[in-house]
Amino acid sequence: MPNNQLIKKHLLNSLVVFISLIGFLGFILFIFYRVSSESSLYLSNSLAFLQFKILAVSVIVVSTLVAYIIYLLCTSETRTRLLVLEATRELAESKGQLQKLYEGAPVPYLTLNSKGEVQDLNKAALRFFGVVAEDMLQKNFFSFFSDEEKEKTAQLVQHYNLRIPINREEVRIVNKVGDVRWVLLSVFDMGSSTKNGRLGLVTVFDIDDQKKLEQTKTEFVSLASHQLRTPLATFKWYIDMLLSGGLGELPEKPKDYISKLYTVNEEMIDLVDTLLNVSRLELGKLTIEKKETNVPEAVESILTELSSQITKKNIVIEKSFGDGLKNLDSDPRLLRIAIHNLLTNAVKYTGEGGRVTVSLAETLSGKTISVSDTGLGIPKSEQGKIFQKLFRASNVKDVSASQSTGLGLYLIKSIVENLGGTLSFVSEEGKGSTFTIKL
Amino acid sequence: MNTQKKKILVVDDDENLRTVLVDKLEISGFDALGAKDGQEGLDKALTNHPDMVILDGMMPRLTGWQVLEKLRQDTWGKDVKVIMLTAVEDFEKMAKAMEGGSCQYLVKTNYSLDEVVKKIQDMFAGKK
Repeated sequence: MPNNQLIKKHLLNSLVVFISLIGFLGFILFIFYRVSSESSLYLSNSLAFLQFKILAVSVIVVSTLVAYIIYLLCTSETRTRLLVLEATRELAESKGQLQKLYEGAPVPYLTLNSKGEVQDLNKAALRFFGVVAEDMLQKNFFSFFSDEEKEKTAQLVQHYNLRIPINREEVRIVNKVGDVRWVLLSVFDMGSSTKNGRLGLVTVFDIDDQKKLEQTKTEFVSLASHQLRTPLATFKWYIDMLLSGGLGELPEKPKDYISKLYTVNEEMIDLVDTLLNVSRLELGKLTIEKKETNVPEAVESILTELSSQITKKNIVIEKSFGDGLKNLDSDPRLLRIAIHNLLTNAVKYTGEGGRVTVSLAETLSGKTISVSDTGLGIPKSEQGKIFQKLFRASNVKDVSASQSTGLGLYLIKSIVENLGGTLSFVSEEGKGSTFTIKL
Repeated sequence: MNTQKKKILVVDDDENLRTVLVDKLEISGFDALGAKDGQEGLDKALTNHPDMVILDGMMPRLTGWQVLEKLRQDTWGKDVKVIMLTAVEDFEKMAKAMEGGSCQYLVKTNYSLDEVVKKIQDMFAGKK
């Protein structure tokens, strides 16, 4: 083995240098011995003897140093070669570990050359594509993309050629048996190698099951909301017809009953709206369209909508509107949903004869929309949890579940944060709460 | 023309909703007629030339969105006033619908019948 030969050579070198040094030192000592015995008369003078001793020690130290330097010079080549050998061995070891990682990783990896042809692929990739290595080697990787991804494929090929990293792009890939699967594709430039030129490392993360589940959920939400909203609209419009459709005035009692039906139906509509909005939010389908938003106008229209509940509970509404929020740059639809939920909560949890205050203000640190009530308040121990989905405070449990879902604050907070704002609150149980949207 | 009643075509596959809307429009002084799916709606629109077409979104045979697209390709239909009166908001389709011709987009559960009538009157009066 060259390694052993090198070590032998190194030892031999060291030995030769060592023996030469011993010889050299012996020679120096011998010279001193001769000098000291020949001039014994002269050295009887004690001062001169001391000087001689210092000289002798100096000569020994200097010659040892010179000898060590000579040793270093003589063995430098073999020592360097030994270090290189050790480094090479460590490199080979870590390369082997990396190779094992690449081979055995559960995520499909492929290595591409500069033309995008497959140079190498791991076991997970073989399993994913349902192939043996020969089926894929030297084939263009981008030719395995689904035909429905033509535009995207062209774009990705361009990115690859321009060495722009491809990071978690959703594409459909076709495997050997013709299955089309959604994957998260990433391609990283691995630099160049002398043998293969430029190399790209592809990771293919199978998200097909996730995609299908997501799609099923979207379809379900869309279907459910459509199916629920159609009968709710039917109720709404037939009640409209009975109450104000020009069919003549109804007697007091039937009119009262029908009005109650109307209120319950409106609550159901709100509930379905909330469910739909939460689903959209979670599916990332709540798109933000910023334009001029008139906040005072939105508040007024929401208060009109809630007027029957407000009157019924004799709640006093106080308004303090600044001028600044008349043309806020925000998404009017989303902001309305958030304010609507805040006001509905305030009215819902405030008792007979209570007070709800809406304040719109523009301060140096931002624009704020605050809703205060003199209602139930939130127990201190539960204040950390109120933005959690489906959480209902213990003191509102006697409000019926159809009216209190535990989705309202979760929705408001998500919407406000999506709009780039914050939602905060102060609350005391039994005294009331103030919620503030800051944009 | 002004003395004549405005003719409105209501296209909705839900019979209950179609009936109540047609009745309300009649009471409010319009000449209303109904169609039970997209294809029938398109045929009736192209033969009767109503002043306004109210379309549901999801319908059998042709969806409301497809009817709107076909109407906009027709020489008469390209300018007809349209209200998309749907059960579910579809923001992408909504934005596209707003692009050509006069079109309003309403979600059924958000509007009372009186508000729907108000919107129709506003559209005829040329208000946005």
